[in-house]
Amino acid sequence: MPEVEQPSDSHPTAFLPTADLQILIDRLMDDGFQVVGPTVDQGAIVYDEIRSIQELPRGWTDLQEAGKYRLKRRDDDACFGFVVGPHSWKRFLFPPMAQVASADRVDAAWVMRTPTDDPPRYAFLGVRACELAAIDVQDKVFLRGPYVDPIYKKRREAAFIIAVNCTQAAPTCFCTSMKTGPRCKSGFDLALTEIRDGFLLEIGSQAGRTLADRLPTSPATQPQLEAAEAARHRAVEQITKTLDTTDIRNLLLGNLEHPRWNEVAKRCLSCTNCTMVCPTCFCSSVVEVADLTGDHVERQRQWDSCFNSDFSYMNGGVVRNDISSRYRQWLTHKLASWHDQFGSSGCVGCGRCITWCPVGIDLTEEVAAIRGKKFASISLVQLDGGNQQAPTRSADSSGEAPPPCSA
Amino acid sequence: MLGVTRVDAPAGCDPANPWLALSAVVDEVLAETPGVATYRIRIQDEDAARRFRYRPGQFNMLYLPGLGEIAISISGDPSIASPLPHTIREAGRITQALAKMGTGAPIGLRGPFGTSWPVDDCAGKDVILVAGGIGLAPLRPAIYTLLANRPHFGELTLLYGARTPDDLLYTCEFDDWRKKGLTVFTTVDRATRGWHAHVRPHPGCGQFQFPLEENRGAWTGNVGVVTLLLERLRLGRPRETVLITCGPEIMMWYTTQTARGLGLSETNLWMSWERNMNCAVGLCGHCQFGPKFICKDGPVFRYDRIAPFLEVKSL
Amino acid sequence: MSHEQHVKRECIALELLRTMPLLEALPDRLLAGLVPIAAVEHAEANRVLFKEGAICDRLFFVSDGIVALDMYVPRRDPTRILTVGAGDVLAWSALLSDQRMTCTATVMEDATLVSIAAQPLRQLCEADHEIGFAFMQCMSFALSRRLLATRLQLLDLFSESQPV
Repeated sequence: MPEVEQPSDSHPTAFLPTADLQILIDRLMDDGFQVVGPTVDQGAIVYDEIRSIQELPRGWTDLQEAGKYRLKRRDDDACFGFVVGPHSWKRFLFPPMAQVASADRVDAAWVMRTPTDDPPRYAFLGVRACELAAIDVQDKVFLRGPYVDPIYKKRREAAFIIAVNCTQAAPTCFCTSMKTGPRCKSGFDLALTEIRDGFLLEIGSQAGRTLADRLPTSPATQPQLEAAEAARHRAVEQITKTLDTTDIRNLLLGNLEHPRWNEVAKRCLSCTNCTMVCPTCFCSSVVEVADLTGDHVERQRQWDSCFNSDFSYMNGGVVRNDISSRYRQWLTHKLASWHDQFGSSGCVGCGRCITWCPVGIDLTEEVAAIRGKKFASISLVQLDGGNQQAPTRSADSSGEAPPPCSA
Repeated sequence: MLGVTRVDAPAGCDPANPWLALSAVVDEVLAETPGVATYRIRIQDEDAARRFRYRPGQFNMLYLPGLGEIAISISGDPSIASPLPHTIREAGRITQALAKMGTGAPIGLRGPFGTSWPVDDCAGKDVILVAGGIGLAPLRPAIYTLLANRPHFGELTLLYGARTPDDLLYTCEFDDWRKKGLTVFTTVDRATRGWHAHVRPHPGCGQFQFPLEENRGAWTGNVGVVTLLLERLRLGRPRETVLITCGPEIMMWYTTQTARGLGLSETNLWMSWERNMNCAVGLCGHCQFGPKFICKDGPVFRYDRIAPFLEVKSL
Repeated sequence: MSHEQHVKRECIALELLRTMPLLEALPDRLLAGLVPIAAVEHAEANRVLFKEGAICDRLFFVSDGIVALDMYVPRRDPTRILTVGAGDVLAWSALLSDQRMTCTATVMEDATLVSIAAQPLRQLCEADHEIGFAFMQCMSFALSRRLLATRLQLLDLFSESQPV
């Protein structure tokens, strides 16, 4: 796990030419790491094991908006010229399937065991600022509570993190509202900012420094520093989406019977996509997997989702037995309850849930609606200090561009 | 607004490796009422068994390999480390399998988990326990603890309602509890006996549960919901009275509203809340009730801390 | 059939009326109006206060003791609907409808009851609307509590859950 060596906004001091990124990868593999980075697969940029910079999505970018994701060719061959895809690093730290325990029947008794857990040591190449924040959020859940998840802990402690500063933003990004980016400030071993011929390198830990010392870097020149700063600034400028987080905990937990929940439920399919792509969602279920004899049973933890219809099953019935209550659970947990539980928001503003929702539900719009800034597709009499407003029936929300929310 | 979590390294769950269950066995099964039995569970490792400590209101995860785990309140005397009694109603796959396996069944155990009844805070006060159905099981450890320290408390009253007379739990202990200083009132929703398909007399706590043949069918006790018993209580000092309740959610809701109407303080009302339980250690997300994790912040909650969420449907 | 034979009735004191939780909201002037038409009755266990289907011309407030309410259903044993105790009201049909009782009321534990003659009570309420309104408010409150309790019984909250 990276210990921060320098203050978060120290200036990058080294420059690494593009081709020498391969040396970075080679050094990591020599040290026994499995390098995981972005790569093109099935029409998306996903995270998978890579060995060569040629496997990076060079020259590709992503076009994202609510309910839409497409890859498009760039007119350069940038290595990291895109934003975030359907994968997040949680699939490596908190694997979708993992064995947590086993039971073997021996002489009419059960012998309980913890399985040997021997995961690869991961080096994550290309972690964005929002993703660093997401990893920190999951650290709080899995490592800093009264009970620790040994599976997460083992992978997390061994992980080497090479962050990448975003040089562009998608219409779905809102990290600035969540104060998680786009600048990488801490939580990494090394951070890269891509400019035309290579990368500006920042050191984030002792382990990062040790690796950087083995790379053919040169001191960064002033034009290179300025180009990097301009590139990072482009990301900030391109962010258009905002989420007003003012008193959001009380706003949402104080509006649990708001009509908006029923309204969004008309659109939401309860498909669980948002929870699968969200880098902080951590719901899981442990299921029994027995062999044919029934004498050897494995307990397997699998990703689950609060949108699954039987997630809240209890005593012969389901507590959240409609989409309205399940959507409410997800949103209020992510943006409100998380503060009570873990001392921060559960949302890092990566926008994945907006992109990957098949019907294009945008949580920033939903929050705005609950704030009373916009009503869509329903007639609602709003009582405001005794002055009744007439019911408003605006156009169907799916056809309208969301108005910018006031900051 | 982080929840108050009191976890002192439970003997049956390693905080660094919370999935590993202790090997245990069902020592004895006591039939209580139709469909309900108390399973006395013994942890195999004698040292671990001896070290096991729990507080009234806490629960264990009982594990049947191949079937899964269930969250069951410990229903015994907390001063006795082993065996650990759990009163369980046959309802789903796992509880039915456990009932079939019976005495000698090898199982796994993780725990104890959760917050507990505020017995220490009741010192010097009057205490009313209101139980509904199987809700008396998680309250029984509190009763034992209160009675074992009787001089520390004021008036102690148990109000207990069940569906029918056949469903009243632990009735053979009531006289002993009365002698030790607990006033016990019972009521039923329906006065009919023999409601269940087959009613066979079997030893519950060492004696038959059902009255003599001549008296069967004649329930002469209270009929009506348990909140009516609460309404009729004459409270000596409502502001110094603590009420703890466990039963169906609606019952607990009306109980606490009635208590507020009688002048009890919202900070002296405690209830045990339930949700789907999977990991019991705050890592799987299933047991959330609003911002609270039932496994860490509950199951015992003080009324005022969850009041805003109690009336929200499907939360 | 009136049950007035064998009943020992005492004059009621204002103080006793004031102890009835349902009536405690009434101001003294109104309670004083009830004194002439109310009485205290002591009923031992097993006494039948009134029978289902019979005419009863008195309203009862329970001060102490337990009274059981049973209804008869053909081909079934008599069904105990409810037991009432201190603070509860019985036989409101004497005042509010046709005086035909809907349950049989049997004393389970020696009871002290405050009974009010229904006809004079109705006349009092009609003559003095202030008393009438206040008294009906008390009755409405009692009935709403009884309705809620009945609904909770009806919900059958302890019924067994469906197996998975």
